Amino acid sequence: MNSIPIEYYLILSAFMFSIGVTGVLIRRNAIVVFMSIELMLNSANLTLVAFSSYLGNPIGQVFVFFVMTVAAAEAAVGLAIIIAIFRNKLTVNIDEINIFKW
Amino acid sequence: MGNIIINDLWSFLKPEIFIAGGIFIILLADLVIRDNRKAIHFTALIILIAAFASALLQMGTESFIFYLGKGNNHGLLAVDPMSTFIKLITIFSTILIVIFTITSEEFKGSKFKSGEFYTLLFGMLLGMLLLSSGADLIIIYVSLELLSLSSYVLAGFIAGSNRSSEASLKYVIYGATSSGIMLFGISILYGLTGTTNLYAIHTILVSPHVNYLTLGLSILMIFIGIGFKISAVPFHFWTPDVYEGSPLPVTAYLSVASKAAGFALLIRFIKVGFISSVGTNGFWNFYENFDWQLFLIILSIASMTVGNLTALWQNNVKRMLAYSSIAHAGYMLLAIAVLSEKGMLAFLVYIAIYMFMNLGAFYAVMLVANKKGNEEISSFAGLGYKNPYLAFGLSIFLISLTGIPPTGGFIGKLYLFIALLDGDMYWPALIALLNTVISLYYYVRIIKEMYLTKALDDTTIETSKTELTFMFALVAPILVFGIYFTPLVNFCTNFVRILGF
Amino acid sequence: MIDLIHFTIIIPLVGFLINGLLGRKIKNEKVIGAIGSGAVGIAFIIALGALFQLLSLPESERSQVVTLFNWFSVGNLEINFAYLVDPLSITMALIVTGVGFLIHVYSIGYMHGDKGFWRFFTYMNLFIFAMMNLILGDNFVVLFLGWEGVGLCSYLLIGFWYDRKFEKGTVAQAAKKAFIVNRIGDFGFLLGMFLIYLTFDSLNFTEVFSKAASGAVPEATFTLIALFLFIGATGKSAQIPLYVWLPDAMAGPTPVSALIHAATMVTAGVYMVARTSIIFASAPAIMTVVVIVGILTAFFAATIGLVQNDIKKVLAYSTVSQLGYMFVACGVGAFSAGIFHVMTHAFFKALLFLGAGSVIHGMHEEQNIQNYGGLKKHMPVTYLTFIIAAFAISGFPGLSGFFSKDEILWYSYSNFSLGLWIIAALTAVMTAFYMFRLVSLTFFGEERFDHHKVHPHESPKVMTVPLMVLAFLSVFGGYIGVPELFSGEGGNKFHHWLEPVFAAANGRLAENAEHSHFEEILLMALSVSAAIIAMWFAWKIFTTNKELAEKTSNKFKGLYNILFNKYFVDEFYEKAVISPINKFSEGFLWKIADVRLIDGFVNGTAGLIDNISGTIKRLQNGIAQFYAVIMMTGIAIILFWIIFSL
Repeated sequence: MNSIPIEYYLILSAFMFSIGVTGVLIRRNAIVVFMSIELMLNSANLTLVAFSSYLGNPIGQVFVFFVMTVAAAEAAVGLAIIIAIFRNKLTVNIDEINIFKW
Repeated sequence: MGNIIINDLWSFLKPEIFIAGGIFIILLADLVIRDNRKAIHFTALIILIAAFASALLQMGTESFIFYLGKGNNHGLLAVDPMSTFIKLITIFSTILIVIFTITSEEFKGSKFKSGEFYTLLFGMLLGMLLLSSGADLIIIYVSLELLSLSSYVLAGFIAGSNRSSEASLKYVIYGATSSGIMLFGISILYGLTGTTNLYAIHTILVSPHVNYLTLGLSILMIFIGIGFKISAVPFHFWTPDVYEGSPLPVTAYLSVASKAAGFALLIRFIKVGFISSVGTNGFWNFYENFDWQLFLIILSIASMTVGNLTALWQNNVKRMLAYSSIAHAGYMLLAIAVLSEKGMLAFLVYIAIYMFMNLGAFYAVMLVANKKGNEEISSFAGLGYKNPYLAFGLSIFLISLTGIPPTGGFIGKLYLFIALLDGDMYWPALIALLNTVISLYYYVRIIKEMYLTKALDDTTIETSKTELTFMFALVAPILVFGIYFTPLVNFCTNFVRILGF
Repeated sequence: MIDLIHFTIIIPLVGFLINGLLGRKIKNEKVIGAIGSGAVGIAFIIALGALFQLLSLPESERSQVVTLFNWFSVGNLEINFAYLVDPLSITMALIVTGVGFLIHVYSIGYMHGDKGFWRFFTYMNLFIFAMMNLILGDNFVVLFLGWEGVGLCSYLLIGFWYDRKFEKGTVAQAAKKAFIVNRIGDFGFLLGMFLIYLTFDSLNFTEVFSKAASGAVPEATFTLIALFLFIGATGKSAQIPLYVWLPDAMAGPTPVSALIHAATMVTAGVYMVARTSIIFASAPAIMTVVVIVGILTAFFAATIGLVQNDIKKVLAYSTVSQLGYMFVACGVGAFSAGIFHVMTHAFFKALLFLGAGSVIHGMHEEQNIQNYGGLKKHMPVTYLTFIIAAFAISGFPGLSGFFSKDEILWYSYSNFSLGLWIIAALTAVMTAFYMFRLVSLTFFGEERFDHHKVHPHESPKVMTVPLMVLAFLSVFGGYIGVPELFSGEGGNKFHHWLEPVFAAANGRLAENAEHSHFEEILLMALSVSAAIIAMWFAWKIFTTNKELAEKTSNKFKGLYNILFNKYFVDEFYEKAVISPINKFSEGFLWKIADVRLIDGFVNGTAGLIDNISGTIKRLQNGIAQFYAVIMMTGIAIILFWIIFSL
C-alpha cells in the first residue's frame, strides 16, 4: 500500500512546532501568543497520530483526544485571564505588562 | 473484572476519591449556602482531613491501578510509598493553606468567592495526587494540566487587581509554553518506544536500538515541563513574578505543594524510566550515554546560586521568599541528583521540613501584610518590639530556612550533605555550603530589620491568639525535629521505595 | 525505682518549665518555692529508691542503663538519651538532689522579697536538670550536654543580680569571666571527646571503657585524651591555671555559691575524671600531672585563704583548695577516696556557705569579717552549725571531714611519696587555721560592727533547719567510709560500694608496696595534732590577742600583700594574657589582618557577589517573552551539549 512516509508528517509537525515557538517568542499580542501555543500543541498531536498509525498502536490516538480537551480548557482559561487583564489595563500587549521585575 | 477495578479504586485511591468527591460537594455547598463562608471553610477542612487520614491508612501499600488491556502488567497509576509520602505532604499543606485562607485579609472582602476558590484548590490538589502516582505519560500530562490550569486561575484570584492578573497572565503564558514543549517531547518519546507507560518504556530502553540523540531531545523537552513545576533554573523566571503577584496563601501553596508534586514526577520519571538497576550500596545505575547526573547537578547548582544571589537584592519579602524557594528547589534537586537511596531519603526529609518552615515563614509574613497591606521589608522594622511573639516565630522560620541548628532546616541540610559525601560529590557539596552562607545574609537581614531597626511609624501589628497559636504550631515541629529528628528520619525511611524497584 | 531514674531529670525540668512560664504570674513566693524545692525533693526520693534497689542487687548487676529514646544516629554514631545507674552515678545523684533540696528550701528564706524570686528558682531547677544529665548520662554527648548546661546556669546565676556592683567591676563582668574561662576548659573537653570518638568509634561509656580496658590502644593516645579531658576538668573544677573564675563567682547569691560553686557543679570535673578512670589509669604521665596540679592548687589556694577578709572569698579559696585535694586523690589512683571527699565536702562546704549566707543575711549584706565579731550570742543556731562545719573541714577526729581527708592523706603517702604527704598535711593545717580565723573573727571577740545601723538577728526557721540537717550530715556522714584501720578488713563500706566502678582502673594501676598500720597511725596522729594546734592557735590569736596577728602581718608585710592579692594572678593574667591579646588583636588582627586582609577579601568577595547578582537580577526584567527567550537559549545550550557529548 502506498502511503505517505512517516518522515513527511514529522517534518510538517516540526515546522508547526517551530512556528509556534517563534510566535510565542516574538509576537506582542497575548492572543496571538495563545494561538501560537495552540499551534505547538497541535504539532504534538500530529506527531502522535502519525506515530500511532505508523506503529499500528492506538495509544497515540487516545492521547490526542486528551490533548484536544486540555487545549480547549487551556484556551478558555487563557482567554479569561486575558480579558481580566484587558479590563484592568486596556491593553493585551505582553511587554506593557511588567509591574514585577528584578 | 469490573469488581476488581472498583475494589482497586477503593483500596488504593481513597484520597483521590475524597478530593474528587469534595469538588462536587463544595460546588453544591456553594450553591446552597453561598452566604455562609464559614460553613464552606469547614466543609473543605473536613474533606481534607478525611483524605489525609485515608492517605495515612494507605501507608505501605503498593500496587498498579487501571491496567491497560490484557497481557499488560503495567497500570496507569502506581501507588507506592514514595507517592503516598508526597500525597501526605500535599494534602497536609492544603490543610494548612485552608487555615491561611481563613485568616487572610486579602480574602476577607465580599468579592472573594470561597466556593470557587476551594473548587480550584481541590482541582490543584487532585492534579498533584494523580501526578505523584502517575505511571503513564497520558495521566502525567493530564494531571499536570489539571494542576496548572487550576493554579493559573488561583494566581489571579483577586478580581480587579492589576498585580494578581499580571501574575496570572505570566504564569499561563510560561506554563502553557512549557507544557507544549513537554507534550512535543512526549510525542517523540512515544514514537521512539511505541508506548506511553514509563515501566514499558523502561523495558524497551534496555535494548540498544534506540537513537540516543532523539531520545536525549525528548527527555530534555519533557524535563522542561518538570523544571517549570519545580522552578529550576533556567525555567524559573515565572516564579518571582507569579509569587509576588498572587494572593499570599496561593503563593505559599505553589511554593510547597506544587513543587512536591513536581519532584515526585521527576523521581518517578528518572528512576522508572532511565535507571537500569539499583546497586547493593543504594546507588542507581544509569544506562544512558549522556551524563544526566551532571546535567541535574549543574541545574541544581544554577538554581541555588541564582536563587540566592538574586534574593540578596529584594526589598519585598514575598519576592525574597520566592527566590529563596528557587534556591531550596536547587538543594532538593541536588539531593535527587545523587541518584541513590540516601539521596532520596535526604529529599524526603528535606521536603517534609521545608513544608513546615516555608509555610510558616509565609504565614508570618501574611500576618504582617494583613495589617500593613504590603510585604515590603520596611514593614518589618521594629516588629521585635511591636509583636515579640510574631517576630520570634518568624526568626525561627528564617533561621531554619538558612539551616542553622537547632532547627529542622539544619537536619534537612545535614542529610543532604551526608548523601552528597556518600556519593563522593565534594564539589557540589562545597558549592551548596557556600550558598547556605550567602543565604544567611538575606534571611538575617529580615531578622535585623525586626530587632535592630526603629519602626518608621507606630502602627501596631496585632495578632489574635488563634493566629499566634497556629503559627507556633508550625514553629514546634521545626524546633522538635531540629533536636530530636530520629522519628522523622525513620518515618521518611519507610517511604523511600518506589513501585517496581 | 531504677526504671524511673529519668524522672529525677524530668521532674526538675517540669519545675523549671512551670516556674519559668508561670512564675511571673504566680507571684506567691510560697508556691514558687514549693514547686522549686518540691521538684528537687521528689527527685531525691526517687534517687534514694534507686539506691536501695541497687543495694539489693548482686554486685555484678549494679550497673544498669535506662534508655529513654534514641536521640539520633548518623552514620555509625548512635546516641541515645540513656541514663546509666551505677554506684558512682547514684552517689553523685543523691548528693546533688539531697544537698540541692536543702539549699532550695534555704533559698525560700534567703531570697525572700527579691524581685527575681521566680527567676531564681527557675534557674536553680534548670541547673539541677542539667547537673543530673551530666551525672547520669550514659554517653559523652549527654554528659557534655549537662556540662554545657550547668555552665550556662552558673553564668545566669552568678549574674543574677546583674545590675549590682562587684569589687572593681560589675556582677555581669564576673559572670562573663566565669563563662569565658569555662569555655576554655570546655574546648579541651570537646577535643577529648572528639579523640575518643576517633579512637574507640563510639561515645557510649560502656563501649568506650570496655574497649579501653581491653587495651589495643597505644599509651600515647590515652595520654592525649586524658590530657584534653583534664583540661576540661580544670576549667569546670577551678584548678590551676583556670581557677580564677571561682572566687569571682561569689558575686552570685549565697545559695548559688553553696549549691553550684561548692557542693555540686565544681565537683563535675572530679566526677568526670572518676568516670573515665580507666582512661586516666592508662595514662600514668597524666596521672602525675593531675597530682601536681591538684596539690599546687590545694596549697596555694589555702595560703590565699589565710588572709582574705571577705567571708565568701575565704570559703571560695577553701573550695578551690579542697577541690585540689580531690584531684590529688584521683591522681594517686584513689578514685573512691576522691568521690568520698566530694560527698563529705558537699555537706560541710554547703553548710559553711549557707551559714555564711545566714550571717550576711543577719548583718544586712555586710561581708567583711573584720566588721563582724561576737555574733555567737546573736545567732546561736548559725554559730553552732557553722562551728561544726569548721571542725569537719579541719579534719577534727570523728567528723566526716576527718575520714575523707585522712584517707586522701594516707593514699598520697602510700601510693605516691612522703613529699606529697607533707604538702598535703601542711595544706590541712592551713585549712584548720584559716577556718578558725574565720570562726573567731565572726562569732567571738568584741562586736566590731556599728550597733546603730546593724542589728544582727537569727535567720528564720526555713533557713536554719537546712543548716541543722547539714550539720547532722557533716558529723555523721563520714561513718559510711570509716577506714579499714578502724573498721577491719573490708570495713570501708563506701570504698567497697564504689569498687566495681573503679575495678578496671585499679587493675591497670601498679600495685603499691604494703605499708604497716603503724605508719598509718603515726601519720594520722601527726596531721591531726598539727591541725588541732593550728585551730587552737588561730582561735587564740583572733579572739583574744588580735595585736599579735596585726604585728605578724606587719612583720611579713611583703608576704601578706602577696597573699592578700592572691599572688597577683589576676593582674598577671591581665598583663600577660589579656592585654597582649588585646594589643595583638587591636594592632595586628584588627588593623592589619582584619581591616586590610580579611575585610579586603570579604569586601572584595561581597563586591563580586554584588556585581554578579546585580547582573543576574537584570535578567528578570518583567517581560514574559524575554523570559521565554532565555529559557529557549538555555534549552539550546543543553541540546548542543547533548549532541556533542554523544
